[in-house]
Amino acid sequence: MHAVRNIRLCTKDCLCLYVCPTGATDTETGQIDAEKCLSGCRACVDACPSHAISLVPEEFPEQQEKTDQVKVELLNLTESKTKQEMIALKIAKSTDDSTLRQVAEAFAKSNRLMAEDLMRESGYMLPQSQNVHRLLEELRMENKFDDFPESVVERLIELMHSN
Amino acid sequence: MRKFSCKELSALFSNLSKGCEKQYRNEESDLFHKLAEYYDQKSNEIHEATVADLSELIKKDLDLNYEKANQHAADVADRGTLRALTWGEKVTRILSSIFNRYEKQRDGLLENKKIYICEICGFVYIGDKAPEICPVCKVPNLKIVQI
Repeated sequence: MHAVRNIRLCTKDCLCLYVCPTGATDTETGQIDAEKCLSGCRACVDACPSHAISLVPEEFPEQQEKTDQVKVELLNLTESKTKQEMIALKIAKSTDDSTLRQVAEAFAKSNRLMAEDLMRESGYMLPQSQNVHRLLEELRMENKFDDFPESVVERLIELMHSN
Repeated sequence: MRKFSCKELSALFSNLSKGCEKQYRNEESDLFHKLAEYYDQKSNEIHEATVADLSELIKKDLDLNYEKANQHAADVADRGTLRALTWGEKVTRILSSIFNRYEKQRDGLLENKKIYICEICGFVYIGDKAPEICPVCKVPNLKIVQI
């Protein structure tokens, strides 16, 4: 567990600098140096008056198992939302009417967000989960398009420790 | 389980990109973002799209899909899914009502008004000023942006 700072909440009281035993909070980027940060120390977390620092776990528990039936329903809705996103994008692109264009753009974005949330709940919440790992492996094996970004997928498999 | 479409993969990966951002994993976030863009560009473009097509899908979600999904999620007490369905159904109802207003008012819909969207749940708002908190997911309005 290492510390991270939410810049939006930070009020520059700099107590983290004062309490950190290794100087990990003393950076120019506004972030905490993960190399120097002592795992689980949390001195800065407790000292910060603005609650701007929290600990991020290196390992997460497995996501709750989803039943097949729930997954089918979530995917069914995702299909509808992604279709709506595509239709809305097409309308936004082809209309001359500026009101309709703006409404269609909002609809496209809204449907993307709903589709993301549905995919997230169907078992792909954590980037480091088994499900994500398996999916990346499958896509790499399949590799059906010539321009498939293999190096991107390989790097992700390498970086994402699966829980 | 059926295979995901390219557009579904794109949504899956754009969400993972956000997930990595929240864990301060910038490299991973960029890589997932690249994958999301790749699958976006691979998804088949729709040749003809009408407002009626959109309206039909919204109606089917509200009349059928949410109810079915809610039932199955409630049967197994899947809280995460129930939460997502609650937000999604509310947002879809709002989209449906904006749609009906557009059909009646046309250009009048946005007269002296702006469109805002909640970047967390997809809530869409038409008015002068974004609400203090999102009425659907309750996030403060720093996450509600103008389109």
